[in-house]
Amino acid sequence: MGNENTHWLERLMENPWMLLILGIVVPTISYTVWGVYDVLSLPVAPLP
Amino acid sequence: MSFMIPEKDWFKAPDKGEKSWIAIGFIWCLVLFFSMPIWHIYGKQNSSSESYRVKPEDFSARVMKFVETNSIGKDGNTPIVQPKPGGHAYVMGGGYIWYPILKLKKGNEYILHISSTDYQHGFSLQGEAGINMNFQILPGYDHVLKITPTTSGTFNIVCNEFCGARHHVMTGKILVED
Repeated sequence: MGNENTHWLERLMENPWMLLILGIVVPTISYTVWGVYDVLSLPVAPLP
Repeated sequence: MSFMIPEKDWFKAPDKGEKSWIAIGFIWCLVLFFSMPIWHIYGKQNSSSESYRVKPEDFSARVMKFVETNSIGKDGNTPIVQPKPGGHAYVMGGGYIWYPILKLKKGNEYILHISSTDYQHGFSLQGEAGINMNFQILPGYDHVLKITPTTSGTFNIVCNEFCGARHHVMTGKILVED
């Protein structure tokens, strides 16, 4: 860790806390937040 | 040992062979991704629908008005309603019934609104020629489908989402005439 010459993917894979954060944040934004936004942004039915 | 800690600087950039497999995998992802909209358009198996927010009491009032203005008879206690070809038709799930019974003309397009006034229901349309179309119906949402009946006959609607003690008797009908 902390070696400037180490590839960034290796540094990421060696960082379990960052992997945990990404594993929670990415699905929360792309699934939960998007889904809630989609439901809340539905227009009101005109019922013609 | 179930796993081993690799030596430092274990990451190696993919070589030519690995890059080829990554490329094949990525192209296959794209094929599967685009096959979904292509199948939606040309497969003729997925329905296009729209959803809107609606208060259950507003939807219920609209259904009652629809029944009042288009009713042509009764089947038991359930009104049979004939909407104008090209017009809007309403079906409401609630109280363990799909209400009212619709009478449609074959070959005409209708805009069908389905909603629930109480719980989540499964609108399952079943009929001859192996027709079996299923939609999740939720209270508070107007589910809008454009439908064109292509076969005449009687199509039964059952609820296929467990909704309570009398879920098993929750049925309805769509009649299609030539």
